[in-house]
Amino acid sequence: MFPYTDGDLARRLRARDPHVMSALYDRYGRAAYSLIYRVVRDAGVAEDLVQETFLRVWNRAQSFDQDRGALGPWILTVARNRAIDHLRSTDGRMSASSTELDRIENPRLFANFEDSAMTLDRARRLREAFVKLTPAQREVIELAYFEGLSQTEMAARLKQPLGTVKTWVRTALKVLRDQLSGQAVA
Amino acid sequence: MNGRPMSCEELREVLELYALGALEGEERDQVDDHLARGCETCQRNLRDALAVNALVMASVKQATPPVGLKRRVLAGFGIERSGWGWLGAFAAALMLLLAGWLSVQERHRQSELAEARSQVIQITAERDRLNQAFNFLNQPETKQVTFGAGKPQPPKGNIFINSRLGVLLIASNLPMLPTGKTFEMWIIPSKNSSPRPAGLFKDNGQGTGMNILPGTMDSLYAVAVSIEPEAGAQTPSDVILVAPVGGA
Repeated sequence: MFPYTDGDLARRLRARDPHVMSALYDRYGRAAYSLIYRVVRDAGVAEDLVQETFLRVWNRAQSFDQDRGALGPWILTVARNRAIDHLRSTDGRMSASSTELDRIENPRLFANFEDSAMTLDRARRLREAFVKLTPAQREVIELAYFEGLSQTEMAARLKQPLGTVKTWVRTALKVLRDQLSGQAVA
Repeated sequence: MNGRPMSCEELREVLELYALGALEGEERDQVDDHLARGCETCQRNLRDALAVNALVMASVKQATPPVGLKRRVLAGFGIERSGWGWLGAFAAALMLLLAGWLSVQERHRQSELAEARSQVIQITAERDRLNQAFNFLNQPETKQVTFGAGKPQPPKGNIFINSRLGVLLIASNLPMLPTGKTFEMWIIPSKNSSPRPAGLFKDNGQGTGMNILPGTMDSLYAVAVSIEPEAGAQTPSDVILVAPVGGA
């Protein structure tokens, strides 16, 4: 369906070819928009943040490893962080500062991924793992990924002791990890 | 926790949160320490955590982006989508005529709104750059190198190097850019290595400019600046500054 590999796109990004943005949008525009919309729940804001996402990808591509980098995970992380940064600026939360978000979307972190890290099979396993989570575990995962809350903020939001929230988070993440690595107990 | 050093295995439990920017305090510091020490287990585990996060992010219900979003995104890079053909263009022109005076005010408002949104995006990008710069300057381990001091004409300024965060260049006395040109920063990792592109930037119209190359910096011998075409270059052509930083 797409004539270019991610490696081709990354090389053209690093070579500052602006026309690569069309192919990049075709491949990742919908995923970025869906993720941002899931977080901000506002189509107009989501449009602005998608623009911001692609602008940021363009501006930071020089540090991206064109041969061993994982383009999709990096773009999704940039998109998610733009949405969380927007939420944070509108509700006055300061848990993850802009510089913290900057740091964790550093393109150099997204190199040397396993070839099998982002397969359809793993996506299916992840969906199965979500079904295994308790409602509380699912809620803390949602709060972490799609609202950007720290564990302290989750505890305040859910009116639960911090230790309880930490247990929910760790257990939920372990379920996801085990299911993805095929270690889950049925 | 009580200050007890955490093992790689214990840290593995929180790396997804770390990669989301949702880990706090001592736990986050301990992950930072392991990664800064080059702990290979934690670096490998962090890649796994980033992959888990990306899968979760990709699992959201897929929405359909509004028509025109691609054009908006591409317009930000000076690209207009082609392929309408003369018939489509004619139909669009006819629709515009039919809409006529009724739509003038609305289009004017939309145009102002789009301009305002564009300005917000630019301001946000500038704010991000400044936040990054402040973060650099606030780190105690950031090393500062001054260049060109006391010289009236060549560029002068400061280079800030942080092995964890990257390189920040703040330069003044930059020459006026010809039309269609931009400044490009380069890093030279060691004495005999080739310059590597480190980002494009422009001055503020008064010869002062700033550029950040984010990321870990294992070795750095010199920083250079050249004048290049707007799209940048892979090797420097018109070099205006080479500043040794006393590294490897």
